[in-house]
Amino acid sequence: MAARFFVIGCVLGLLGEASAIAADRTLSVTIYNNDLALVQDRRDIDVKGGRQRIEFQDVSAQIRPETVSLTAADVGIVEQNFDFDLLTPSKMMEKAVGHEVTIVRVNPASGAETREQAEVLATNAGVVLKIGQHIEVLRDDGLPVRVIFDKVPDNLRARPTLSVTVIGARAGTRPATLSYLTPGLGWKADYVALYNESDSKIDVQGWVTLTNSSGVTYDDARTLLVAGSPTEVQGEGYGGDSRQPNYYRRQAARPTLQQAGTMSGSRERLGDYYLYPIAERTTIANLQTKQVSFLDVAGVPAEHGYEFRNAWLGTADAPQSAKSIYSFSTSAHAGLGDQLPAGILRFYLRDKRGDPQFIGESRIDHTPMGSTLSLATGDAFDVKVRAVVDKRTRLGNSHWQSDMRYELSNALPRPVSVKLIQDGLWGDSRITAESIKSTRRSAEAAEWAVTVPANGNASLTASFDTRF
Amino acid sequence: MRTTSLALLAVAITATASVTAAVTPGPASDTRASMPSDLSVTVYRSPNRAAGSIDLDALGGFALISETRTVHLPAGVSRLRFEGVADGIEPASAIVTGLGAAVIEKNREGKLLSPSALLEAAVGKPVTLLRTDQRTGKSSRVIGTIVSDAEGGVMFETAAGVEALRCSGLPESLSFSAATDLAATPTLSALVQSSQPMTETVTLSYLARGFDWAADYSATVSADGKTMDLGAWVTLANGNGAGFAQARTQVVAGRVNRESGEVEPIDVGGPILAQCWPRGSTSDPPSYLQRQRAFPEADAGAALETMIVGAARLVAPAPMALRALAKKVEQEQLGDLKLYRVPERTTVASRQSKQVRLLDREGIPVTTVYDADMPAGGDGYSRPARRLLRTLNNSANHLGLPLPSGHIAVFAIHRGETLLEHESGIRDLAVAEELEINMGESPDVRVESTRLDDVTHVNITNARAVSIEFELRLQLPAGGRVVGADHPQGIKDGRPIFRLTIPADETLTLQYRTEHMTAQLRRANCIARAPPW
Repeated sequence: MAARFFVIGCVLGLLGEASAIAADRTLSVTIYNNDLALVQDRRDIDVKGGRQRIEFQDVSAQIRPETVSLTAADVGIVEQNFDFDLLTPSKMMEKAVGHEVTIVRVNPASGAETREQAEVLATNAGVVLKIGQHIEVLRDDGLPVRVIFDKVPDNLRARPTLSVTVIGARAGTRPATLSYLTPGLGWKADYVALYNESDSKIDVQGWVTLTNSSGVTYDDARTLLVAGSPTEVQGEGYGGDSRQPNYYRRQAARPTLQQAGTMSGSRERLGDYYLYPIAERTTIANLQTKQVSFLDVAGVPAEHGYEFRNAWLGTADAPQSAKSIYSFSTSAHAGLGDQLPAGILRFYLRDKRGDPQFIGESRIDHTPMGSTLSLATGDAFDVKVRAVVDKRTRLGNSHWQSDMRYELSNALPRPVSVKLIQDGLWGDSRITAESIKSTRRSAEAAEWAVTVPANGNASLTASFDTRF
Repeated sequence: MRTTSLALLAVAITATASVTAAVTPGPASDTRASMPSDLSVTVYRSPNRAAGSIDLDALGGFALISETRTVHLPAGVSRLRFEGVADGIEPASAIVTGLGAAVIEKNREGKLLSPSALLEAAVGKPVTLLRTDQRTGKSSRVIGTIVSDAEGGVMFETAAGVEALRCSGLPESLSFSAATDLAATPTLSALVQSSQPMTETVTLSYLARGFDWAADYSATVSADGKTMDLGAWVTLANGNGAGFAQARTQVVAGRVNRESGEVEPIDVGGPILAQCWPRGSTSDPPSYLQRQRAFPEADAGAALETMIVGAARLVAPAPMALRALAKKVEQEQLGDLKLYRVPERTTVASRQSKQVRLLDREGIPVTTVYDADMPAGGDGYSRPARRLLRTLNNSANHLGLPLPSGHIAVFAIHRGETLLEHESGIRDLAVAEELEINMGESPDVRVESTRLDDVTHVNITNARAVSIEFELRLQLPAGGRVVGADHPQGIKDGRPIFRLTIPADETLTLQYRTEHMTAQLRRANCIARAPPW
């Protein structure tokens, strides 16, 4: 028991000038959408008066040291350091170059120990020691030799450590707030939607999902989630960012927001961001995924339909599946009645036994209240479209007539309506003839509503006059 | 109630093995859900695969797993733990239904109990260092503190000073006194609040990765080549470490939308590495040789590959008597998808592939067609034609059922023996769609195309003893067209097609004339002349 006390005393001695790890700790964590969090860590520090170094352990391992700020009454900051030289056996030996260590040779036959003092000369590919007047390579003969160091060098630690050197105007214990930004903490929303085929209604549950890969656990933290990304993420390409205008995005990115809402709700805001506070203090453990409910609505009317988008001059030998689309509103009447933070919405449908089965998922962006969302869950097995370029006729310099035919088939025992979209009509393209009246969604796309009879086929033809 | 909680505690101690059972810090009491009493596994295909078999080494599909479990909740706040969920779990997709108590939050811990996790938890805490004398077998215990476990090296401090673990050449080991509350298997937990003690049956559903399935068809073409028998298996596989005993099993056909949602990885930990300082000695040979790039040895992966060839790829047609006995999956509509239910409960074991009969149909009329698809006006073009088996997926042809995508092996009867003819893939086919089975290239039927000015000559040679149906499709550049040919010309999907019959052992020559952009351009330029500046 005496030995144990000695050890603990020794460890405290290592920390140098002063240590400031107090039990009274209040953590608050504000998490943004783009892998960023603001951590405010309030602890009591023991100010000695005068110059003093304070070490903060249990801060995020991914801390952005340039964002650290410490505030306490009557304390001035001299400098802040973030030491990330980690304590490993080879670093320890490297730092011992030019210094004395104790070596203990153990006789393998008798177990007898011989102690010697040695100076470490070099540690390149092997440890070279000077013992008395002789130069030796450590454990060159493979026999057991223990190396004992007197102490751990000041700036080697098990974890990256933040230290602040301060000047205290007066001595005494007082609260200090350490705040910093860190990646590694993030959140998103996850939605579960159960669609009822008999009355075309959905039940939706929303969960916020917190993830922590920042390397430490935040105990009993007051947690606030901000639906927004306050800093521009560097190095983000055009592909995934839904805020980019349409022409930067890949064809596959289908717009999910049909009508942006104009309703304001009762949710708390910060500037233009919505806030989702977590009611109770919670512990966010390292590598943990945590979910807290924020939305639970039942019986929202929803529509199920089909959509097929054909690229310009898209032609296919084999029929392609139409997309299966579910659309609903987020308005207060006949809708979800809330703002939806960005996330993934998973659709479920009951099978013949009544068990919910997964039928696909779709990503949504931050969605204001009162919006109309139209989400694709996947490809329809039984509803297919074959687009064919029947003829291309040249009418002049870069002036073409393209005759398109779209053949739709439906293997379902009920008629379906397919929203057929022909993309890529930019410039002054016109539709000169068509078998069903189209609506022009934009300069870029024309749209037809084609009804396909039960277990039957339908066909649509259209001629496009283009100057590109 | 008292006996139940005692029993649960007993389970807890066995589960954590050598580590003493620990009480989780915090106000919430821990309660374990029972192991699943009912399981349902619905397997979805890899969304990126249009046709073909599954790859046991890279199972790109996923599954919806529903587990029915019994929970006993005390009054107040408690942490309800669901142990033994699939390792591929997507924690964000987890749903708990049937719980009367309020769920405050759901958690999935990402760290499992491992030597490295024990060590990490012990940094800065007292541990016992065990040194054993190899000669006497006597061991000595020293109490010390772990100073660091950074980058795989371990430094500890005793009264004597600071030392590195396992660098001295003496047998050294650590003995930990502080236990961790880490679980042995992936665990999902829910923090719940209940006003009174209750016992409930709840369902935990979640999506998990590391599953896949495909249909494996085998077709046997009759001796006259006019009909075929088609049979198929549903081949499903589970690459997870968790198995699902006596589960209701379903597979879903059709492509479902999947977002590339990131899943926080599980840290399964590692061994205590005890990396040391450089330990080169004067007797080490000079390191002239660069280390060779390491290649994995022929290992379990290769063995699996061989196994799947035996089990799935070459599914020989089952004898008639067996076909009648085989229980088939039952198909039902699930929204716009097709759900196939395995008729009986089955065990989807960990790292296993499993086959269930999908269908057996006989006497399906087929036509054999040879085809070639080439650019119009091709010169110096010579290649074998492709053979196709065609039929329509309807009840008149003894089919008329949705055919999920997969792999097909076509067998032929030769002298009473069944031999493999060709293997290819099938995409999802709805009822009334054309089923076209690619039979590969035929060396006996070759197509040769030469062009002189704007006339193209195509020679089709048939070295077979029977006359064949042949289809030649042409790829025209935009605005190009065929202006004349010595055989009747048709149009299929906006492209010219020649449907020809080639007698046995004969050559057929087809000539056609094309008009290309250049000719049109000349005319177009006459109409739309350039402005005179």
